[in-house]
Amino acid sequence: MYHLDDKEYVNEPYYRKTQSVCPECLQPIGAEVYEEDGQIYMRKTCEDHGDFKDLISSSAKYYKWTHYAIKDKNGKVVWQFDKDGETNPADIIGDDPRGCPYNCGLCEQHISTCSLALIDLTNRCNFNCNFCYANVLQSGYLVEPTLEEIDKVMKHFRNKPIPAVAIMFTGGEPTVRKDFPEICKMAKDNGFKEVIVATNGYGFQKKKGGLEFTKKCKEMGLDTLYFQFDGINNATYEKTRGIKNLMPYKQRVIDNLRKARLDSTVLVATIAKGVTDIEVGNIIQYAIDNIDVIRGITFQPVSLCGRIAVEERKELRITNADILKEIEIQTGGKIGMNNSWYPLSTIVEFGRVIAYLADVEPIEFTCHPDCGFASYMVIDPDSGEMMPIMEYFEPLKVIDFANRFWAKIKNKEKEPLKLFEGLLGDFGKSLDNGLNYLDKTQLKARFLLGVLQYMKKPGKLMELFSRLLMRGDWESISSFSYGALLLSSMHFQDAYNMDLERAKRCIVHFGVAMPDGTVKEVSFCTMNTIHRATIEKQIAKQITAKVRDEFDTTTGQEVIEVTPEVARNGGIKKEGDT
Amino acid sequence: MSDKVIETKDGMKIRKLAELRTDTAKEYEEAMLSRVEEFKKKNDRESQFNDVVQNTIVKAFGTLLDIKLQVDKVIGEENLKKVHKVIDDILLTGL
Repeated sequence: MYHLDDKEYVNEPYYRKTQSVCPECLQPIGAEVYEEDGQIYMRKTCEDHGDFKDLISSSAKYYKWTHYAIKDKNGKVVWQFDKDGETNPADIIGDDPRGCPYNCGLCEQHISTCSLALIDLTNRCNFNCNFCYANVLQSGYLVEPTLEEIDKVMKHFRNKPIPAVAIMFTGGEPTVRKDFPEICKMAKDNGFKEVIVATNGYGFQKKKGGLEFTKKCKEMGLDTLYFQFDGINNATYEKTRGIKNLMPYKQRVIDNLRKARLDSTVLVATIAKGVTDIEVGNIIQYAIDNIDVIRGITFQPVSLCGRIAVEERKELRITNADILKEIEIQTGGKIGMNNSWYPLSTIVEFGRVIAYLADVEPIEFTCHPDCGFASYMVIDPDSGEMMPIMEYFEPLKVIDFANRFWAKIKNKEKEPLKLFEGLLGDFGKSLDNGLNYLDKTQLKARFLLGVLQYMKKPGKLMELFSRLLMRGDWESISSFSYGALLLSSMHFQDAYNMDLERAKRCIVHFGVAMPDGTVKEVSFCTMNTIHRATIEKQIAKQITAKVRDEFDTTTGQEVIEVTPEVARNGGIKKEGDT
Repeated sequence: MSDKVIETKDGMKIRKLAELRTDTAKEYEEAMLSRVEEFKKKNDRESQFNDVVQNTIVKAFGTLLDIKLQVDKVIGEENLKKVHKVIDDILLTGL
């Protein structure tokens, strides 16, 4: 099973069937995922629109290593991913005979819970990136939920049997909303442990009021910025965002976060071949240099929205494996492709053990292995050098131990000890509670010792890790993550590479308040590929001239702030300009 | 900021990361410990960092880990594998 076993099956050719959609008409079609010339491809045929072939991974070896392989009764290798998640009850009974993803909202075919809830706060933005899927200037209508609608969506996510632990505000640019700090408070009041904003930095970078805004957001409950950061060169931003001289804008955000001590930022880099892939090393070094406020980096291979010609697609398509290769090259081999990374789903059982033993809400990473990978970079206490956390442990051994441990104890979660309740009533119930507490304490000791034997480094970080194992609470998770740099990648799907095996396991869900009073919960990739236009048409508001002319999108500033000199200068703002 | 930067013909700055040696190791630990302090202050008695029992267990864990690392060095890789197997079996027995 998986990369935990021997690696013999990596020599077996990869092949599996799945369901996908036609990139032209978005109707369901079958697809095959297969190996060719050391790479993994998807091929599919639409009766009306012909054949499509797209690259899924540029490294068949890495791809297979992250997948399951079992042998059928004839000894033939069958590639399948069977790590299904816990599920919440379906929100709707799907009546579209085409099934997933056309019934999304969520239906009974979904096999993961939501780990990260998303709410689009607005589609207004001070930028006008040409590849953005949610932009008021491109769509021609305004999407901006009211505070009541936002509260309703939050309650939808929090009131489920397995509630979402974290929430992220997206857009557009969420911080263009004047009530953004109040929305952060609303999230905390609704019980979200982690409140995150996906931002280009607009509200935080303002020369007048940016610092105050940053402080206010922290005070109201904002924990983390998911900060758009494509590199350290102005030329890069000019290509990706169409804005000149953007780096000082980005630096002002970091400076204000530092001053306000809002010290949890994840740099989010959209990686496009030949454009931002050369910045991978720069971004890692920038994060290390600003480690007092930066907690991680997420690399996102660019998602190809809209209709794109075959040749152009070949030019642009970049996969998780390409990013791993770039990281290895640009860090001089220190973060190696073959020994530093694991798919997010690797730690599912490990997380379940901790959540059960600590009585905390579990965070379930039961997404498909193609969705993303992660690694922590930490400081080696012996050399002072950065290194992948895999050097701190024997990771496969720890994961294997956790998997076996979970297999043995998972029934205890559903059926706690009830020896005396039936005999002695309330007193018996108290006795049972005591026994269950003792049982959990001895389980914690066993688990801690089991993991301890595979640790390879001492130090404060490991002390915090032991707290995480024992308590699994937000204090221990957060403190541990402050001593490390999380590197990850999330490859969002588009219509060309859509794999419904992935969509069904999505753990990142949008919530939208619909006009009929219901909340529609839709998985991330299907929202952006299939449902967004239909949903937004139902909730769209009329765009006004004020909204349309709010920003000069060549500078990223409010129109009223842009001086004639800046306008004449092709949008370049000189230091000291307001 | 690292000074190992190459500037390309078109003015792009590319950092050469031959290694990940950093002079910010102290900052990492400080960031982590200041987070601990923040929780201590904010959550007061509720904080696990102010819990005497918990702190004692963590200290004991640290000591145990130090001893274990010394023992690992002494017994060698092959023997270590056997020891791990025995410990695994013991810890998973009776669950």
